[in-house]
Amino acid sequence: MLALQPPPQAPIDAPQIEYSAILPVLILLGAACIGVLVEAFVSKASRWAAQVTLSLLAILGAGLAFVLYVTDSPERGLTTLYRTIAVDRPALFLWGTLLALGLGALLLIADRTVERGGAFVAQAGIRPGTVQDRAQMASGGMQTEVFPLTLFALSGMMIFCAANDLLTMFIALEVLSLPLYLMCGLARRRRLISQESAVKYFLLGAFASAFFLYGLALLYGYAGSVKLADIANAAAGSAASDTLLFGGFGLLVVGLMFKASVGPFHAWTPDVYQGSPTPITAFMAACTKVAAFGGILRVLTVGFESTSWEWRGVLWVVAVASMVIGAVLGLTQTDIKRMLAYSSIAHAGFLLVGALALRPEGLSGTLFYLLTYGFTTLAAFGAVSLVRDSNGEATHLSQWAGLAKRSPVLAWVFAFLLLAMAGIPLTSGFIGKFVVFSAGIQDGMAPLVVIALVASAVAAFFYLRVIVLMFFSDPAPDGPTVTVPGTFTTAAITLGVLVTLVLGLVPAFALDWAGTGTFAF
Amino acid sequence: MSNSAMLLAQAGAEVAKVSTGEAISFWILAPLALGGALGMIFARNAVHSAMFLVLTMLSLGVMYMVQQAPFLGFVQIIVYTGAIMMLFLFVLMLVGRDSSDSVVEVLRGQRVWAAILGIGLAGLLVTGVAEALTSVRPVGLAEQNAGGANVANIGRSVFTDYLFPFELTSALLITAALGAMVLGYTDKSKRRTQRETADARFRGEHDRPSPLPGPGVYATANSVAVPALLPDGSIAPESVSAIIEATASRELATDIETVAGAIPGPDAHALKPAAAKEGDK
Amino acid sequence: MSRAELLADDPIWLILLKVLCIFLFALLTAMITVWAERRLIGRMQNRPGPNRVGPFGLLQPIADAIKMPFKEEIVPRTADKVTYRLAPVLALSPTMIGLAVMPFGPEVSIFGERTVLQLVDLPVGVLVVLAAASIGVYGVVLAGWSSGTPYPLLGGLRSAAQVISYEIAMGLAIVAVILQTHSLSLGDIVDSQQGLWFGIALFPAFFIYLVAMVGETNRAPFDLPEAESELVAGFHTEYSSMKFVIFYIAEYINMIVVSAMGTTLFLGGYMAPWPISLIGDNYFNSGWWPMLWFIGKIGLALFFFIWLRGTLPRYRYDQFMKLGWKFLVPISLVFIVALTVINVFDQLSTTGILISAGFFILLLIALVMMIPDRREPRAGRVPLSGGGYPVPPIDLQIPSKPRRTKQARSRAGRRQTVAAGAKEGDDGVS
Repeated sequence: MLALQPPPQAPIDAPQIEYSAILPVLILLGAACIGVLVEAFVSKASRWAAQVTLSLLAILGAGLAFVLYVTDSPERGLTTLYRTIAVDRPALFLWGTLLALGLGALLLIADRTVERGGAFVAQAGIRPGTVQDRAQMASGGMQTEVFPLTLFALSGMMIFCAANDLLTMFIALEVLSLPLYLMCGLARRRRLISQESAVKYFLLGAFASAFFLYGLALLYGYAGSVKLADIANAAAGSAASDTLLFGGFGLLVVGLMFKASVGPFHAWTPDVYQGSPTPITAFMAACTKVAAFGGILRVLTVGFESTSWEWRGVLWVVAVASMVIGAVLGLTQTDIKRMLAYSSIAHAGFLLVGALALRPEGLSGTLFYLLTYGFTTLAAFGAVSLVRDSNGEATHLSQWAGLAKRSPVLAWVFAFLLLAMAGIPLTSGFIGKFVVFSAGIQDGMAPLVVIALVASAVAAFFYLRVIVLMFFSDPAPDGPTVTVPGTFTTAAITLGVLVTLVLGLVPAFALDWAGTGTFAF
Repeated sequence: MSNSAMLLAQAGAEVAKVSTGEAISFWILAPLALGGALGMIFARNAVHSAMFLVLTMLSLGVMYMVQQAPFLGFVQIIVYTGAIMMLFLFVLMLVGRDSSDSVVEVLRGQRVWAAILGIGLAGLLVTGVAEALTSVRPVGLAEQNAGGANVANIGRSVFTDYLFPFELTSALLITAALGAMVLGYTDKSKRRTQRETADARFRGEHDRPSPLPGPGVYATANSVAVPALLPDGSIAPESVSAIIEATASRELATDIETVAGAIPGPDAHALKPAAAKEGDK
Repeated sequence: MSRAELLADDPIWLILLKVLCIFLFALLTAMITVWAERRLIGRMQNRPGPNRVGPFGLLQPIADAIKMPFKEEIVPRTADKVTYRLAPVLALSPTMIGLAVMPFGPEVSIFGERTVLQLVDLPVGVLVVLAAASIGVYGVVLAGWSSGTPYPLLGGLRSAAQVISYEIAMGLAIVAVILQTHSLSLGDIVDSQQGLWFGIALFPAFFIYLVAMVGETNRAPFDLPEAESELVAGFHTEYSSMKFVIFYIAEYINMIVVSAMGTTLFLGGYMAPWPISLIGDNYFNSGWWPMLWFIGKIGLALFFFIWLRGTLPRYRYDQFMKLGWKFLVPISLVFIVALTVINVFDQLSTTGILISAGFFILLLIALVMMIPDRREPRAGRVPLSGGGYPVPPIDLQIPSKPRRTKQARSRAGRRQTVAAGAKEGDDGVS
């Protein structure tokens, strides 16, 4: 019936897609889309249960698919979808880390026992400070859209780690960032500061994306391709001007460093960590860091290894700046969430030392460090969310004085996590720092490692200050109480603490796994 | 290999050949685009800023067309100027026409440093790129426009080489739509229907059952911004919407006096009061 | 020689001639449409319409064109002067661009030069029209904003939201056509309608286009940016004299452009309609004849616009948005998917067929879920009560309409001039 003309060109051959390799990502993306439909069609009363079930099932299903694939994945890794995605050993390690951390973060997000209705606002459209706002604060509802948003962010992070070309990487960056911008502004209490943090994160994040994109454009101009491997080839033997290459690289790195909250590109971190709902802070601190460093590792190793002697000095300065800023400014903080934010900036500096090593030890060390840091920080923020007074979370350090007398368990757990962050032996933090710094020394970066050691000593001071405050001060009379968490939060904190402990005692299996392969491209 | 070398050679030959038409349009469009970009930064009024940005984007769109990318050019115009900037304007118009930048510096010296560093970065980029681009050869244009099928070839690359980024963009769009709904939606299920509101009005739950009076009775001008005057010459506050800034009362002094009877009234056929006419002279 | 090759050969004088002709065509058709609209609406409303200047009031547009520029030009004190002056220009100039890519006819000979009745045939012709339309809205929006008074601002806001919403529906309707032609060039689209017009083959898309085109041009029943019962005159409230004329002309040329576009996409463009195309070995599809069909079809579409305005009451704004987003856009999306499945049906494997069937069933389920429950009339509610205020009884009988004889009609005409009290007992209606 229809006057269908023959297409003027030959039909496109369907690509060979390794579905088993990318199945975890596809499951998460699919579940996120279903979650959006759940928002549309399921009645308000049953939405929370439906979303939590769906999201947990999705992450567990993705984990199952992941485990099934890992057991017989090719040693060298593979690229699929027209070489836009590289599923290799580092990517798989990061995927596993992200899935486990995502599960923990999701448990924190889903918790409704610590605060009635959860940490999220019942209706984001209500203006803060109004009568309706006070009503929603007391109500038991929440914006259940955070669950599909979390899944979107998580899948974005996984793609970001595995992206084999800069364009995919950019879009994955946006897929992971946009839900985070949104969720930062959805705190149930102190909504103005939460919204401020969201706007700040969004504006600065948009700038960082613009930097990334500008860098991408210059690199495309240089290599005529957005694929990391092609850029590496072009850098190895091309007559084109190096200005494009290094200009592009510089701008690209600014965008990447921003996401990883490294050094001088950290300005958003304290404000956003402080203002966001604490489960989201935990999610961001753990998972975004993993994803961002996964991306940095891949870009530096695959795309720019051959030119490393040209740009390494600059990244040295960035790493030093990050460690110094994190350690020194962390000393002056009076808010526990801000303090952890500066700690995360310092840790980003340490991680960069491993990423700069550009050798298998550096790669495996950084991956291992990411794993340990992610779980430690996840549990730490989980613990922060438990210390509360009538206004919500009590994050001021003075309110934490004498916490050990009120709740010894929490104080011990938190102290353990802080010690892990400081890098005390028998915790995973020690092993992480050890492998990263030894990789740095092997690569001839001794001065940088010395600076890193000094910085970690300074940083250890402010962790210890909190421990001293908790154990050796008198509790304030109107101090906060420690909420007894429900199953979800308990599970998340336990997961974090256990991993921190186990990786501190028997790190060998994880280290082995982290060191099994290199990037495929 | 030899094929690509041939292509490169072909492309290399194209470097020197910038047609006169292309050169002319470049020298018209480039200053326009640049002027628009600068105007966008320096315009005090937000809507003017947006309009300058529209100018820049239009110029870029036309430039793409001149450089043998007609699809990209028109999509740039439809998407950026047509949809995105229109939404920008939409928001700016809601914000209000008189809102301009705040001149309070939160950080001291922030503007100066921002300007210096910004110009520095721009200078670096421009000099670097300008120097670099002298040796750059166009790659892939001939393949992309092969057989005069620019659109079909773009479609082909979208569904092959860039398939995954393209599909992934949908996740981004869903997130954006979801986010807009989360931030913008307030539950209206408890809101009254038109009928219920009308009933409530008549039950006396509102100030008055009817809408506010328009500027009809004793009004002295056609504009909605001019309030009606009550028989004693005072302004009827209800007659002007609070949104509209009422005309300053001194401009109405004569009218008030006339209505109050202080000035002898006009005869029935006069359009304006006699006193006002004398006052005008 | 292909269309593009023929056009590439055009000497410069021919191009200029075509530009001039398109320009004149736009202006003349706009004037004729203004006259036709007033006459037709008058006819539909039982009044004569303009009938003083020239035979049948034909010269009325010319009289208006002379009168308008001499009117006083009022610029509000609150206006943003530059933008205020820029807005009418922005409204008018892009409208002409759309006509530049319209194919008015096939190959002809003009002063011995073989050419096609079209100014340019871009490979992305469809997008040109959409782009021009999207720029044209700036005129309306900026006019509303720059006037500096509330009603025009509201009109401008409405226009911005309206055009963006309906452009999506329109674009999706056009996608259906492009799926069939595999080309964005308007010339190719006309050529591929040799067999069956897309207006019939792709009827849902045609329907969506028809609705969207009315929304896009701010015409009744979607003339919300200038709804006179709500916004005085909407975005052009503060415009007078020549600037007002420009908006007026822009609106009519816009109508012509979307009509020409609709004709090209769905009504076979310049091709002769079916029975005529059979005469004399398709004689009427060659030479200059097709231009007649093209203009005739545009005329039909314009008549459709006028007919709508004479028939339908204006939509409420929220209903209008609901129609766009919740009806037109989903329907066109579903239609595109269905069309794709139909197109590739014979290439599908069994799995493919099963998957598409499953998708279809899911879609049906989703659609069924979207149907709202029937709301039960609330029990015990007395519908007549207005809280003590008198309302007319609900079972008010509308009296049957008396048959209209010629005599009665002439009496009705007379009656309008008679004083109101006198007509009471006259015709028995009361």
